[in-house]
Formats: sequence, C-alpha cells, structure tokens
Amino acid sequence: MNEIMPGLALQKVDERIMTLNVGPQHPGSGHMRLIVQIDGDYIVACDPDPGYVHRGEEKMAEYRNYILNIPHLERPVIHDSCNVLYPYVLGVEEILGIEVPERAKYVRVIASELNRCIYIMYWLAIYGIFLGHSTMFMWPAGDRELLIDLMEKMTGARVTHAHFIPGGVRNDLPPNFEDVCLRHVNYFEKRIKEYSAVFYDNPILIARTKDTGVLSRQDAIRLGTTGSVLRASGVDYDLRKKEPYDVYDELDVHTNVMKEGDSYARSKIPWLDMLESCNIIRQALQKMPKSGSVRVKLKPNPKGKGLTSVYKRVESGRGSLGCYVVSDGKPEPYRLKLSVPSFRNLIALPYLLKGEKLGNMPSVYWSLNYWPVEADR
Amino acid sequence: MGTATGIIRALNSGIKHLATKRFTLRYPEEKLKFVGDGYQFDPSTGVGIAGLKGRHLLFHDHCTGCQLCSIACEGVAEAIAMVKVPEEHKQNKKAIMPQIDYGKCVFCGLCVDACPFYALYMTNDYELSSFSKEGLIYTPAQLQVKPYVAQDSEIIITDRGATHG
Repeated sequence: MNEIMPGLALQKVDERIMTLNVGPQHPGSGHMRLIVQIDGDYIVACDPDPGYVHRGEEKMAEYRNYILNIPHLERPVIHDSCNVLYPYVLGVEEILGIEVPERAKYVRVIASELNRCIYIMYWLAIYGIFLGHSTMFMWPAGDRELLIDLMEKMTGARVTHAHFIPGGVRNDLPPNFEDVCLRHVNYFEKRIKEYSAVFYDNPILIARTKDTGVLSRQDAIRLGTTGSVLRASGVDYDLRKKEPYDVYDELDVHTNVMKEGDSYARSKIPWLDMLESCNIIRQALQKMPKSGSVRVKLKPNPKGKGLTSVYKRVESGRGSLGCYVVSDGKPEPYRLKLSVPSFRNLIALPYLLKGEKLGNMPSVYWSLNYWPVEADR
Repeated sequence: MGTATGIIRALNSGIKHLATKRFTLRYPEEKLKFVGDGYQFDPSTGVGIAGLKGRHLLFHDHCTGCQLCSIACEGVAEAIAMVKVPEEHKQNKKAIMPQIDYGKCVFCGLCVDACPFYALYMTNDYELSSFSKEGLIYTPAQLQVKPYVAQDSEIIITDRGATHG
C-alpha cells in the first residue's frame, strides 16, 4: 500500500505502481470495490472494500419479534435463503424450547440441500462468464430452473421462500412431491455430470485456473476461511459431518476434499458438493416419515425465559454460517449476530492476489465463493 | 489427456446438445403450471397448504376487520392498510378490510398465516405490473375477484432431455 502522508488525505504517487479501482459498479467485482495496485500486469497489493450494500439486518432484528424476523433475515443471500435462515431458526427453537417433529427435520434438510444446489449453480454461471466461457453461463442458469421449480412447488416462491419457521416448516409438501423431486434430482445429477467434459476437464480452463491464487493448508486455517475454500486446501471440515444438526447424523454425508488449494480446486469443490447434495436428497426422501406433523403450533408472541444466549451454525452453500441470538425474555431478540462465511473467505483475497496477473483477478476473486450482500449484511 | 483431445471432447459435448429439444419456456405464450390454487393456511392445524404465493384473495363474508394481517405486515413490509368498505357485513361491525400495496409486499405470506377466519388466501396470479404506483394498490373490492390464470406448461423429463410442454 502507498504511504499515507500525515495530516492530509493524500497518497504519495509512485512512478511505477498504478492504483486501480475495480468496482463498485464493475461487473467483475459485485457490489464491492477492490483497490488493486498494479505494476505493469502484475498485482502488487489488493485491498477489498466491502460495505456498499450494508442494510443493518442485525439492528433491524432487535425491533421485530421472532416470527417477523424471518422475511428480512433471508435477504442477504436470496438464492440460498433456506440456509441463511437455518441457524437463526435452530437458535430460536432452543431459546423457546420447542421440539421439532421428525418429518419437518427431513423437509428442512431437503429444502436446504436444494437451496445449496441453486446457489452453487448461480455461482457457477457467474464463474463461467467471468472466465469468458458463455456456455457455462447458459447451462447452469437453465438447469437451475429444475430445482427452482421444485422449491416453487414446495414453498410457493422461486427465491426468498420464508419457509423455515421456529418449530418446523410453514407448509407440508404438496401431494406427489417425492416422485417429482426424485425425477428432477436424478435428471439434474445427470446434467451436472456433463459439465465435467465442457468445463472441468477443459484444457483451457485448467490452463487459466491451475496454480493461480494458491492458498496453502496452514494459511487456510490461519486466516479462518470456511466451506469450499477450506476444503479445497486439504482440510476436511464440513459442519454437516462435524457438528450434525437436525437429521444429518442419520444420513450418510461424504465430504469432498482437494489438496491443491488453487482456483481450480476451489471451483471444483462446489460442483462435487452438488453431486453429494443429490445423494443426500435421495437418502432423505427415502428415510422421511411419509406422514405426520411438520410444524409445532406457536403462541402468538413467543418469548424465551430469562437471559439466555445461543450460538448455532450450519453449513451453507459458501461455508459455515453462524447465528448468535441473545434473548432477555422479551418477544424480540436482545441482540442478533450473523457470522457469515463470505466475509471470512474475503479475508484471504489480498494474500491470494499478490503476484498474480490482473487478468486472473476475476477468477481468483469469484473462486472464493463470495457473496457481497451477505458479507455486508 | 492431451490438450487437443480435451478441446475436442468439450466441443463434442456441446455439439451433442444440438439434437436435444430446447428447454427455454416461451413466457408470455406459455406459462408454468403451479401446485393447487395458491397458498392457504389452516388455523386449526397450524399448517399451511402448499401453493404459489402470489396475489391475495379476500373473502368479504369471512373478514371480521380484526387487523391481524395488518399487524403481521407491520414488521415486514407495511403493505397492508385497513380501509373502510361501503358494504355492511354482520361479522364486520367496523366495516374495515385490508387494502394491499403490491409495491411494498414481499409475498412472504405471514398475513395469510395470521388470519384466523380463513378470509385471506394467496392465489397463483403473479402478473401484477402496472403503469402507475397507484395501480399497484389493490382495494378490498379488487382483492375479492378471483383471478383467471391459464397455466398449463410443465417441465417434462425424457431420456433425450428436459423440455417445457
């Protein structure tokens, strides 16, 4: 970084090094700014500047009761809205002391796995277009429609489902959902397997992404990255397996780990996760109780007893997503804190980009599985 | 695998798709079919009935003017306002009913869950665009009308691929 001169908001101009602002309107950065310093074509330093889409979700939550918090808390990631809501719902259930019916737990697992696939497909489409691979933009954007159709049948909305609620889910599955879901998921799995030939085994992609932005195993742990970034660096850490919530302990979850830690590995891990999600959905459909309640009836203004706090975390499409809820016995939470994976993964970006070419910046940046709106909350 | 073979394989994988049917839905001509008539809620069991969360349907003969839908919406979108209605109902002494501003509504359906008298449903009508902001405000009389929606297209999965048909 350039030295800031005392007393003035001015920076010393270097003869060689140029400062480049990528964003916040640039399509290659999302709703954020990357202050990149380049020497010729090589990046000397990079300073991510998030905060352009800060909405004050945490403060808003202090003025609404536990039910009315649901629609606005899923706004940070509208494609992954079930997983964003999941830790909040689990936390509130513990504060209110609610036991969730067995069928509701399975419905939640199916909804959250479908949402994970929807999110990753959207992410993959953007990753494809960042690399100039327009087929990889069109295919995931189209195939995502299969799962969005399923979520629409299940919850009544294409995005922002507002489906999870403390005590279960809002509505029961529609009749004949199991067959439709199985048919869609089987076809979806067949489709995403075709991506390997066109994208992941494509020598042009491998040449672009192999050995760029390498994050070593030690650095991945030291910087506190989560999710696909951590698993691409060789750390086998998945909350669905390490700290199973709901019914994940009854399902056979397999985690995908790659040792390279480069952009290629980080882009391949989400794709492998989608194949694993298809397996989990099939298992959950098989083990789910065929009938029964999906929701516990709540009192009009549910409130906890005394001063309690609870921290719950789940594995979202991007990594471990935590929610800390403090209750002081009122219908509204006293404090709510979202610990989001996007912000944790963004921390690794300045270390990854040092010494890379400017042309590799979009692929390294988007391989971090970063969602700007979620990081700003 | 060599570079040339890899590129040929990638191209071949794309060329194979020339033979498959198109997946794109031609939207204004074809419309997707949804489950049921729309999202409803059964207050006796406390569980909703699956369906699309679209424009609301208000049953004037059930609405008591209790304002619970308006209270539910206060913390979400403030889209519901209670307004006077000219007609008189035995169960609605105050003669007030919800008026919904679709410029603000987020279609979460919490108002439907809050209604204890089966008066508010959500239908599968989602084409609500208007030329003015005032056109998005639906009065109780407009909400009473059951929408006509022709939705017949479904995703069909065959061995040769998926299509809308």
